[in-house]
Amino acid sequence: MSATAGSSASSSTTGANPGIPLTRRTLPFGNGHTPVPTSLADNGDHVQRKDDSDGSDVDDPDDLNARTKRKYTKGKILPALSPASNRKLGEGAYAVVNLGHRRATSTELAVPVAIKKMKVNTEFRDGLSMDAIREVKYLRELHHPNIIALLDVFSSKSQNLCLVLEFLSSDMEMIIKDSSLTLSMADVKSWMLMSLRGLWWCHKAFVLHRDIKPNNLLLASNGVLKLADFGLARSFADPYRPMTSNVITRWYRPPELFYGAKFYSSSVDIFSLGLVFCELMLRTPFLPGNTDLHQLELICQALGTPTEENWPGVTGLPGYCVPQADTPAGGGAIKERGKDFFMNTFIAAGEPGVELLMRMIRLDPRKRCSAREALDAPWFSQEPHPTIPANLPKRGGGKGIEKVGSDLKRKAGDLFNSNTEETNGRGKKVARKLDFGGGG
Amino acid sequence: MAANFWTSTQRAHWQLTREKIADMRKGLDEEDTNRGLGIAYPLPDHKQLQLYFHHCVQRLARRLQLRQQPLATAETYLKRFYLKVSIRDTNPYLMLSTCVYLACKMEECPVHIRSVVNEARALFQEFIPQDTAKLAECEFHLISELNSYLIVHHPYRTLMEVQVQLKLSPDEIMAVWSFLNDSYITDLILLYPPHTIALTAIFLAVFVRPAVHTQANLNASSSTSMAMGAAPGGGIVPPASSATQGLSVSAASAANPQNMSSARHSQMSDWFAESGVDMESIIECTQEMISLYDTWETWTDKVCREGVARLIRGRQLL
Repeated sequence: MSATAGSSASSSTTGANPGIPLTRRTLPFGNGHTPVPTSLADNGDHVQRKDDSDGSDVDDPDDLNARTKRKYTKGKILPALSPASNRKLGEGAYAVVNLGHRRATSTELAVPVAIKKMKVNTEFRDGLSMDAIREVKYLRELHHPNIIALLDVFSSKSQNLCLVLEFLSSDMEMIIKDSSLTLSMADVKSWMLMSLRGLWWCHKAFVLHRDIKPNNLLLASNGVLKLADFGLARSFADPYRPMTSNVITRWYRPPELFYGAKFYSSSVDIFSLGLVFCELMLRTPFLPGNTDLHQLELICQALGTPTEENWPGVTGLPGYCVPQADTPAGGGAIKERGKDFFMNTFIAAGEPGVELLMRMIRLDPRKRCSAREALDAPWFSQEPHPTIPANLPKRGGGKGIEKVGSDLKRKAGDLFNSNTEETNGRGKKVARKLDFGGGG
Repeated sequence: MAANFWTSTQRAHWQLTREKIADMRKGLDEEDTNRGLGIAYPLPDHKQLQLYFHHCVQRLARRLQLRQQPLATAETYLKRFYLKVSIRDTNPYLMLSTCVYLACKMEECPVHIRSVVNEARALFQEFIPQDTAKLAECEFHLISELNSYLIVHHPYRTLMEVQVQLKLSPDEIMAVWSFLNDSYITDLILLYPPHTIALTAIFLAVFVRPAVHTQANLNASSSTSMAMGAAPGGGIVPPASSATQGLSVSAASAANPQNMSSARHSQMSDWFAESGVDMESIIECTQEMISLYDTWETWTDKVCREGVARLIRGRQLL
């Protein structure tokens, strides 16, 4: 059931097809007033007029679900080009994702979509999982060009909840790892700008994403970046209500969560995005810890040791500790890193870029900038200007779909996707590092 | 709550008019009559039923020690659901337990499905199936009927925002909370934006409540029979109590209301006048609330309980 198997020659050719105009419109179903993003036109082979839009079946006009369901069908738009086995994009702990498309009508073209079918735990025994609930809950309310669009929700005949999501062909992780691509600072700026806009919108609505990482930043074929996977999201509108600190993939988790903070806010997402920013420049994860403790050591080494001086109140957090090396016996606390340190590591970003980065990954969450403040950073208005999305580097080849599938397979918060070669490689690298450290 | 009310699905899809609601209910009733269910299983009118369901939800919530917010969300779900599906096609006890279960997940205070079923069984005995699968299946239908529009914006937030500005006394805040809790027995949450409901409750607490002082004892006595006793409360949320209870409390504590109130009243009227709020809506909300208390005066749960029991047994909705 590996999603990487059976790769298709047909899946996608990179040739962007600019010729097909999909005008802005409102979908007349599902009570949804979700506007379809202006250009969902993926690759040339997806957008084809489908003539057999069966107008013959007559459904009960009152049955909204049936009407909604009939809008979509499994499989690609041109079935001849895609064997049925290709439909599945991935399977995870709580969802199966299939490629589908919205049926063409007399006035509208067919549009590829991803259909995420929520698995109901063991024959209804436990109800729907929180992940599924959260995803529906927030995506139903958040509409923004930089947030994945939930086009519809319907229930299938086997009584499963199906989410119809925008189909997005790749993600940031693929771009970062594709060594054939060169990323310019203008490209990085453009991606950062789009992610910050999406994040700003979430925070404005008092929603924390809580799982920002490169493979949750999906890319449409026209280059637009969209935040996805709201399985861990929650609202932070009610102050004084404790939240779990066991969220966010380890490599992108901010120090306050390692210290077990129960009250935190949008600054956790900003920190994660700051580390994605580093990763975009380094082309490798900035702080790839093997364990939570190791991760904390890396944070201390890279950013400085959290102390009362640079972070008032930190010692009061339940899990506060300092790595062995940073205790007075082991060499003393590392001062919070200054600009020189970051200028050395991220020289390409230039001074304004480094300044923004530093404000995003401050140790003390209260000192981090908000998404709004980050968007106002001078870096974005300076030369080089952000690349327009359509001109951003794209990943070539036909592996796109399989990769998205394997990402969706992952459970929210999980780092590794154990049965794909790619991530195994990544894991090995980390392991090697460990050996190295142990041996030396 | 999360997200912005002005761009919310609540505003876009679940702010209805009285006519629309009446139409929807009439549609369901007519359908029932056509199928012969209306005569076979008579039920009291929806106001009576809403009161009954409100009390059922409250009792369940109390057993599960829930805060007011998930409770309010659960009641809103139940209201929305019964505008689209006939009560006679469902097991109301199972449905309201499902609403509570889903609302808890939505408000980030999940309760295990087993505990919901156990507590519900303790309250409604044989009407709740032992098997949790039933409730889970019901949850699925609920989400489907709600079009997966799950976030509900409540008036409590507005209250928390303006209570400082308006210098509301603890007494008044208590009363406002009670009015807000009671507003979930009415259709207000389907009709008006949450801030209008919040301001109505404030209006009632400040202007109308003193006027009913004299009747407080009467109301209090009639309401104690159905008020289910105070929850062990705790936290920042006052336990749910009926407004009439609030009234009796205030009657006892407000020693010399007369001098106080005139200055207070003019200050508050100024605030309402300058706030630019839609006073017409507030008056309409007030009337809705007053008509609720009228109904409540003569209400007993016996008819509802028997009607629902006959329905569930008769149609074997287990």
